[in-house]
Amino acid sequence: MNLFQILAVAAVLLLSTWTVRTAFRGQMRKRIALFWLLVWLGSGTTIVWPRATVVVANRLGIGRGADLVLYVSVVVTMAGFFYVYTRFRRMDTQLTQLVRALAIQNARKPEPSDTPKQPSAH
Amino acid sequence: MTQLLENTTEFASSAVRGTWVVIAAYNEGEAIGGVVSDLVDDYPNVVVVDDGSGDDTADAAAGAGAVVLRHVINRGQGAALQTGITYALTRGAAYIVTFDADGQHQKSDLPALIGPLARGEVDICLGSRFLEHAGSVPLARRLLLSLAVLFTRLTSGVRLTDAHNGLRAFSRRAAARIDIRLDRMAHASELIDQIRQSGLPYREIPVHIRYTDYSLAKGQRGSAAFRVALDYLIGRVMR
Ligand SMILES: Nc1nc2c(ncn2[C@@H]2O[C@H](COP(=O)(O)OP(=O)(O)O)[C@@H](O)[C@H]2O)c(=O)[nH]1
Ligand SMILES: [Mg+2]
Repeated sequence: MNLFQILAVAAVLLLSTWTVRTAFRGQMRKRIALFWLLVWLGSGTTIVWPRATVVVANRLGIGRGADLVLYVSVVVTMAGFFYVYTRFRRMDTQLTQLVRALAIQNARKPEPSDTPKQPSAH
Repeated sequence: MTQLLENTTEFASSAVRGTWVVIAAYNEGEAIGGVVSDLVDDYPNVVVVDDGSGDDTADAAAGAGAVVLRHVINRGQGAALQTGITYALTRGAAYIVTFDADGQHQKSDLPALIGPLARGEVDICLGSRFLEHAGSVPLARRLLLSLAVLFTRLTSGVRLTDAHNGLRAFSRRAAARIDIRLDRMAHASELIDQIRQSGLPYREIPVHIRYTDYSLAKGQRGSAAFRVALDYLIGRVMR
């Protein structure tokens, strides 16, 4: 293994333990943790054994391993965006509900000024 | 007083007492006081939703005799209308009218909007500026609004002459079924979808929109239409 591989594998191991710890503390949902563990496992495998991508790519009918990595990362990134976007929309809705509840709770009754109103011209 | 009280049946005055006028206002301090004080002369129940304005909208509205609900941050006109409608329902409203804050709507149009509800003919009356008074609408507005009508016909399958008029009246039963989720301007199209889905009877009523320099300067730009259309389409897909 070259120096890059050693450092990268160390980083991946660190990220994995961190993921597991966070999940066990209940700060991350199990399903999400599993997703990240798979990502780390995939990264680790391709770092230690770069030819793995070529093998898998060929199985899938894609010529080069680098292409496979590119395709997969594009899909994962899009999925990530979509996830964040739905989360954002949900928070936006919840924010409106919160603002609405506050507004109704603090309803301010009319305070007509002391000066008598002009008789209306209608 | 206006026509509604002129044919003084008890029925008419009870309709007025049961009516809540909901006004969404964003930085309308200049206009809101006059709009509210004009309304409360005839319609005692007015609620202004101050949508995080940076000016004196809330004080002006309360001073003119409206209940004021304040959104601590701006959430958009759709969100503000839903806040006002929810509040009016808790106050026992029999009829709910949505009205603009910028002086574009006329109190004198209200009897024609509330009347069909009070007589039990329909549950929703939608104001239309194109049934009778189309001539007074500036040309650019007219083009944009006819595009909006076409858009509504395509996306909702509802034939209206004016899809984006803020002057509307709902029976209590209709208002209770309304659930505006599109916070910003796209709520107008969303409302039409919900009206269609509710299956409740509705009718368009001719109303007169006053295009003052103030309201035109403050009003929606034509270019905002794309954002509105996008908001609406995303809202339909995403729920
Ligand atoms: N609550 C709320 N009301 C808004 C907002 N923007 C506009 N309005 C109100 O919605 C009404 C119609 O808005 P306007 O911009 O005049 O739209 P137009 O009449 O269709 O050009 C007015 O009463 C405005 O005060 C907003 O961000 N929040
Ligand atoms: Mg306006």
